[in-house]
Amino acid sequence: MSTFQRNMDRLFVFYLPMAITVIFTLFPFYWTINTAFKPEGDIVKSPLEYVPSSFTLENFRVAWEGVGFSTYFQNSLLIAFCTVFFVLIFATLVGYALSRYRFKGKGAFMLLLLCTQFVPGAMLIIPLFLIFKSLGLISNPLSLIITYTTFQLPFNSILMNGFISNVPRELEEAAMVDGCNRLQVIFKVILPVLMPGIVATGVFTFIHVWNEFLFAFMLTNQEERFTLPIGLSYMMGEFNVNYGALAAGSVIALIPAILMFAYAQKHLVNGLGGAVKG
Amino acid sequence: MFRDFRKIGTAVLLSSLLVTGCGSGPQETVIKDEGPKEAPAADQKVKITFWDENAGPQRTPYYEELIKRFEAENPNIDVEYVGLPNKSAKQKYDAAIAAEDLPDVGGVQTTWLADFSIRGALYPMDEFFDKWSDKDKINPAVIQSNRDVVIDKKLYQMPNTINLDILWYRPDWFTEAGVKPPETWDEFYTAVEKMTDKSKNRYGFSIRGGKGGSFQLQRMMYAYSGITDFYDANGKSTINDPKHVEFVKKYLGLYKTYTPDSDITNDYKAMVAGFDTGAVAMIQHNIGSYGEHSKALKEGQYAALPLPKTADGKYVVEGYNTNGYSIFKTTKHPEEAWKFVSFLASAPSQSYWNQNIGQLPTHEDALKEDWVQNAQHLKVATSVLQSPNTVYYYPGVHQPDYRSILDQVIDPNIQAVMSGKKTVEEFLNEWAATLEKSKQQYDAHVKTLK
Repeated sequence: MSTFQRNMDRLFVFYLPMAITVIFTLFPFYWTINTAFKPEGDIVKSPLEYVPSSFTLENFRVAWEGVGFSTYFQNSLLIAFCTVFFVLIFATLVGYALSRYRFKGKGAFMLLLLCTQFVPGAMLIIPLFLIFKSLGLISNPLSLIITYTTFQLPFNSILMNGFISNVPRELEEAAMVDGCNRLQVIFKVILPVLMPGIVATGVFTFIHVWNEFLFAFMLTNQEERFTLPIGLSYMMGEFNVNYGALAAGSVIALIPAILMFAYAQKHLVNGLGGAVKG
Repeated sequence: MFRDFRKIGTAVLLSSLLVTGCGSGPQETVIKDEGPKEAPAADQKVKITFWDENAGPQRTPYYEELIKRFEAENPNIDVEYVGLPNKSAKQKYDAAIAAEDLPDVGGVQTTWLADFSIRGALYPMDEFFDKWSDKDKINPAVIQSNRDVVIDKKLYQMPNTINLDILWYRPDWFTEAGVKPPETWDEFYTAVEKMTDKSKNRYGFSIRGGKGGSFQLQRMMYAYSGITDFYDANGKSTINDPKHVEFVKKYLGLYKTYTPDSDITNDYKAMVAGFDTGAVAMIQHNIGSYGEHSKALKEGQYAALPLPKTADGKYVVEGYNTNGYSIFKTTKHPEEAWKFVSFLASAPSQSYWNQNIGQLPTHEDALKEDWVQNAQHLKVATSVLQSPNTVYYYPGVHQPDYRSILDQVIDPNIQAVMSGKKTVEEFLNEWAATLEKSKQQYDAHVKTLK
């Protein structure tokens, strides 16, 4: 095969499909960022401007100050980090128990954990609202942290079970021979080896909580307690869509997710591989 | 071992502190239902909650200003504003009604009134309204229709905005092509045909085939037929009247020939975007989309027209096309809630609000102001509403499932007709049958209440 033939093959089999995939994936991001920096009049101008002719930060000002993204951002961060914290602790312990212990009804328990994923969230809104109302927790971030932790725990426990099963038992046995008890084994031996799994679980939980709208909206009756997805939906009124502020809000909402993925990318690939093998 | 427990304990304790420290503590605004409605002491500050059902940067700042004005006039009343995103507002109200955790006052669309009142969520305003000095200045037809829509005929909503379906068209293109803006249905179809120029990627009209299409189609159907009874004397729906069959065949027949192919999925935003980006010469919507057109197009590139007249020269307008405020039954402060509602419904507040959101007020004095008279689209709307040739039809919004029938059954069926999967006759017969079944259930329920 000639060099030319080989290059052509590479071009059509590798580079071209990759380039199309990248353009297809990144164009919506580009368009969102492009819209976020355009003045309002230029957004729906005909013909459409693929490269903005003028630049403004006004849309960010409207989203951050006018709509209240500064508050919603803090609320979202608080709720997301607390949920991730609790999910990681409980999912690790449940995952460890599932992986290392044999007990009666283990299969049924796993099935039950899976079944919780089939219940539509919308069905649970009114019962949850009544429970949190009687506890005085409506409009309190705690109600969302408890709800999200409960919803995220089953799936993440199963995920963690997969990760922990990949850690050789011999490691634990060696640590125990050296004098570690069970908790020391978990925290000193398992956790450091489990880092990719923890990062994968944490990122999944964070992204889910970060984007969640329904419970955040239903369990909160005070505007200063709302989260980012609710702030974004303000931009789409019955007759008016503020495309500029919507795009700016989306960019703001994207930043933590992008930073998190950038940091966790390596762990994430390792972590998911581990879960699949388990 | 002990050290490990200590570490875990510390972590849990710290996290609980972190979480609970950020909480709001006991709820100040939780309203217990059926509580005694005591008047507060003169020096006691009362807090009322107001839910805006269509919040956003285009509207919220005006409510904030009105609340500021109200609080300055009423220093003993604090209004807490909670903005609800439009697409989820009804769902929020539904959950709040079920949990009896409602605001004192809320923005309520007239199409929700029957549903909310039948569930006992609303506080009747009649006693307050009858004593109000401005009561005769609020459009009496709208007040009456708000009473008619509920079973017990009480006033559960104070209307502050009237909406009206119109045609938005491109006057510059019409002038250039020498086409007369349509006044009759024949002129409408001729204009749609003449303004279509596929070589320029320009269409004469755009049909809303996606979400919300049934509302608009229904208004066009009755505007064409001139029928003013939604149900006949025997309880049969007039939706599948032969005149409507004739209209829908011709109207949806425009699809793809004189309207864009993408119309089959057109929701409000897509339809307006087609007009605002210069792909379409004319759309049917209401005066509420003025803000979008004025942002995207220049003066002289957009103007309003009434929906075409019937063959005998009548404008047909759908009743109940209003928005307003309701007081909720769980309020502990009905007097203060009414004070706020009547403040929002007063001429200065209605004028400020409607001028800024580009809609028509219901207060007689606000309607006379210059900003109404000078805005072309509002002038068109006022002229239709005040014309002696205008007749009204009142759809079945009193049936609690009326809205869900349109959203969930009729909208997808419009697409079925546009894609050729259903005939117009099948579509309209099914629509009529669904409405009739719902009406029978509603009538039976009303009988049991009596």
